[in-house]
Amino acid sequence: MVDRARREFLRKSGIGLAATMTSGFWFDMLAKGIISPPSPALFEDRFGVTREDMKKILEIALSKGGEFSELFFEYRVLNSVSMEEDIIKDSSENISLGVGIRVLKGAQTGYGYTDDLSFEKMKQTALTAAAIASGNSKLSVANLENKSSGLKVYDLDLPMSGVKLDAKVELVKRAYNAALTYDKRIVKVQSALVDELQYITIANSEGLIIADARPQTRIVVFATAEENGISNTGYKSAGGRVGLNFFSNVEKPEETGKKAAEEAVLLLSAVDPVAGEQPVVLGSRQSGVMIHEAVGHPLEADGNRKKTSIMWDKLGTQVANPIVTIYDDPTIPYYRGSYNVDDEGTIPGKKILIEKGKLVGYLQDRLSAKLMNMDTDGHGRRQTYRHNPIPRMANTVLAPGDASVEDIIKSVEKGFYAETYQGGQVSDSGKFTFSVNMGYLIEDGKITRPVKNATLIGTNVDILNEVEMIANDTAFFLGTCGKDGQSAAVTAGTPTLKLRKMTVGGRK
Amino acid sequence: MKEQNLLELTGDLVKYGLKNGASQVEVSVSQGTTFKVDILQGEIEKLSEAVSKSLGLRIFVEGKVARASSSDFSEETLHKLVKNAIDRAKLSSTDPFAGLPEKEPLEVDIAALKIYDPAILDMAPEKKITAAKETEAICLADKRIKKTFGSSFSTYVGERYLSNSNGFSGTFKRTNCSCGVYLQAGDGTNLFDEGWYDSSVNLENLESAETIARKAVHRVTRLIGGRKVETQNVPVVFEPPMTAELLNFFSNCVDGSSIYLKQSFLAGKIGEKIGNEAVTIIDDGLRAGGPGTEPFDGEGVPLRKTVVMEKGILKNYLLDTYSARKLGMKSTGNSSGPNNLYLSAGSSAPEQIIKSVDKGLYLTGTIGFGLVPTTGDISRGAFGIWIEKGELTYPVSEITISGNLARLLNNIEMIGNDLQLKDSISGPTIKVAEMTVGGK
Repeated sequence: MVDRARREFLRKSGIGLAATMTSGFWFDMLAKGIISPPSPALFEDRFGVTREDMKKILEIALSKGGEFSELFFEYRVLNSVSMEEDIIKDSSENISLGVGIRVLKGAQTGYGYTDDLSFEKMKQTALTAAAIASGNSKLSVANLENKSSGLKVYDLDLPMSGVKLDAKVELVKRAYNAALTYDKRIVKVQSALVDELQYITIANSEGLIIADARPQTRIVVFATAEENGISNTGYKSAGGRVGLNFFSNVEKPEETGKKAAEEAVLLLSAVDPVAGEQPVVLGSRQSGVMIHEAVGHPLEADGNRKKTSIMWDKLGTQVANPIVTIYDDPTIPYYRGSYNVDDEGTIPGKKILIEKGKLVGYLQDRLSAKLMNMDTDGHGRRQTYRHNPIPRMANTVLAPGDASVEDIIKSVEKGFYAETYQGGQVSDSGKFTFSVNMGYLIEDGKITRPVKNATLIGTNVDILNEVEMIANDTAFFLGTCGKDGQSAAVTAGTPTLKLRKMTVGGRK
Repeated sequence: MKEQNLLELTGDLVKYGLKNGASQVEVSVSQGTTFKVDILQGEIEKLSEAVSKSLGLRIFVEGKVARASSSDFSEETLHKLVKNAIDRAKLSSTDPFAGLPEKEPLEVDIAALKIYDPAILDMAPEKKITAAKETEAICLADKRIKKTFGSSFSTYVGERYLSNSNGFSGTFKRTNCSCGVYLQAGDGTNLFDEGWYDSSVNLENLESAETIARKAVHRVTRLIGGRKVETQNVPVVFEPPMTAELLNFFSNCVDGSSIYLKQSFLAGKIGEKIGNEAVTIIDDGLRAGGPGTEPFDGEGVPLRKTVVMEKGILKNYLLDTYSARKLGMKSTGNSSGPNNLYLSAGSSAPEQIIKSVDKGLYLTGTIGFGLVPTTGDISRGAFGIWIEKGELTYPVSEITISGNLARLLNNIEMIGNDLQLKDSISGPTIKVAEMTVGGK
């Protein structure tokens, strides 16, 4: 089916990826200190693409009358190691190298990419992208001037790309064993460590050239519990733009394994949710997915520029209860969704979307900002050099309120408490769902029995007005967001909150 | 620059791996040209075209495995990846089930599979642009359509190459083309997004702009005014694309790795009666012109026709070499998942199925996740048309459906005669005796 208007937030991505251990190249570069501070010299030194070449290619890209041209060079090494059934089963190392060439003319985009960085192939690719325009070149390319971000949102102290495989194997084993020994009813465990280092250089016809080297690390554990012929699977992941220190200072692998196992065991005694409209409490642990779907996606600029988003005509109006303030911040140090520079060279900052219930901004990329006559804010992202940038979230946050978690639970006579999720999905019409892997019944102001596999459904413009109480125990959910066939690493954070009523899917 | 012979390259890397200490090596390459045009309100929004390639390799050192992939084809990089993989494999654990597939003769006539259409290669970009523009224009002529997300036309022409140290060496070409449009309709804040999209291995069988547009408009306009219903248990009629979605979930539940990892409610159930008599599910990897049709899978195992469920009895899983060995079975050529999976047609006309329902849901769309292979539980957001006294009445939205796949397979009461074997997963209209619809 066509999926272009659907946006998804998946929590289970990652484990199927085969990958591990540093390529020698990266290790060499780390030793030389090239990745920090990042420098555009990599593509010149290693792949022979000189600055003059870049300028020439940018000129060729503009030769048919384009208004803007841009090169996005990427060299990425993604490693993984995975354990199942008590053995280290697989490891992999994946290299992705190429350049994406973009030409803009008005609202139109020409795009081409190649994995061959020879001048001839880049020239052909530039001509392909140039063909979006038809005419003669009117603009010249400015001299390329190095720009640096000034931000340092990655922990490059002990990057995973420099960690030997046996040390990674140890982390995976620790997570695995913690899950397996958590309870006798745990029958199967899978754990995996995935790390990558993405080196990019962006050059454009306005004379910008900027580089970044982004680490991304994640450990994931699945645990299956079985009792009386009934099985359930629990899941937990942890990580961010971090290195080895994360696993001693922030979350030990044992903790990740234990959490996955705990969920699997709790699910064994879980009942089906009660279907129908009812008060819903979203626990802080993972409910950021609600903010991501109900608010984040509908406020990405592209859907508002094209007027397909339900929010396109609501800027400056009250769209939520005044206790609701929501922002997106790509600069939170070490978070999974953070970056020093976005994928079109804009240095990002915190962007307020909803302030005290009023809609005050959209998440912009270069193209939408220009066409909407607004400022860029560093939310133009792309999956790889094979993709054109589009407005995306980074770390989306619902600001804390003044209620206490206790008071929130106590205020519900009969309702549903959501704790962990499989993911969420929204369409431009604002209709969204989130799929709860595990929650609890709330009965007489108390959390009682665990509940499995519930779907919550609503329309964002309605739900934003149903937010009744917000606590201050903010926690973040690590996710991978899908939009227009591109995935992006994100997080979303929220304190515990109460929705007056929402439709819960379940059994009757 | 001289173009590399990619089949030779895979063979050379296999030899390089063996020479450097691997006991078994597998190397695959895929290369292709993609073209895509996006149209928005009659104008080209994006035009993209690229030639790209990627290489994948799998190395075994005495039952220990490591993988790698690269889009960088320089000899230096590829050799380093092979050596790194051999070093890494040594740190893995010995797994008696790991290894390449046994050599099996490749007897299929690749031309007879009809997965390569030169007409796609020859199609001028202007024609693709025109087709996409036409599709959107037809939709926009309908006054009920408020907004468009745009239309698109894309083509792919590519080749696959695979060599392994068991003596396998194979290559084939394939093509694909697709066209689709996505629309918005509705009033105020009660909006609906829907569309239609068709994809085909050959140009001849791709639905026309007119057909795609007509289906897209129908699919979105029938939802206008959608509202919630009371929470209740009712029969649910699945429109064919919804049956396909259900089968996709089923395919996750019969996937070899979910079985040996016990992450499926169908683990250990071969030979048992899971569905009712009417339910037969087949994966046919050799269907001529099928989108999932190929001579061999990602490991070089010939594709075949596998009966997964016959008259309700679970007959087989969808297996690759590793999961097959783990389960003491034989690979079914499914290393890339289901090939062309379908639920066999029944004898009821779809109208007859709707007529049989006194009160229930005609399911036309879902949203969200909520599919759990370990338990078979289903819980999703849903859209559709409410059935009263055998007639489609008003649209419903913002509701949920929930049930369990095991019970559902037993409760398929009627199966339509409207099976169209076109997509890689397909099914006819079906009626399920009861699911819970969550609403007010």
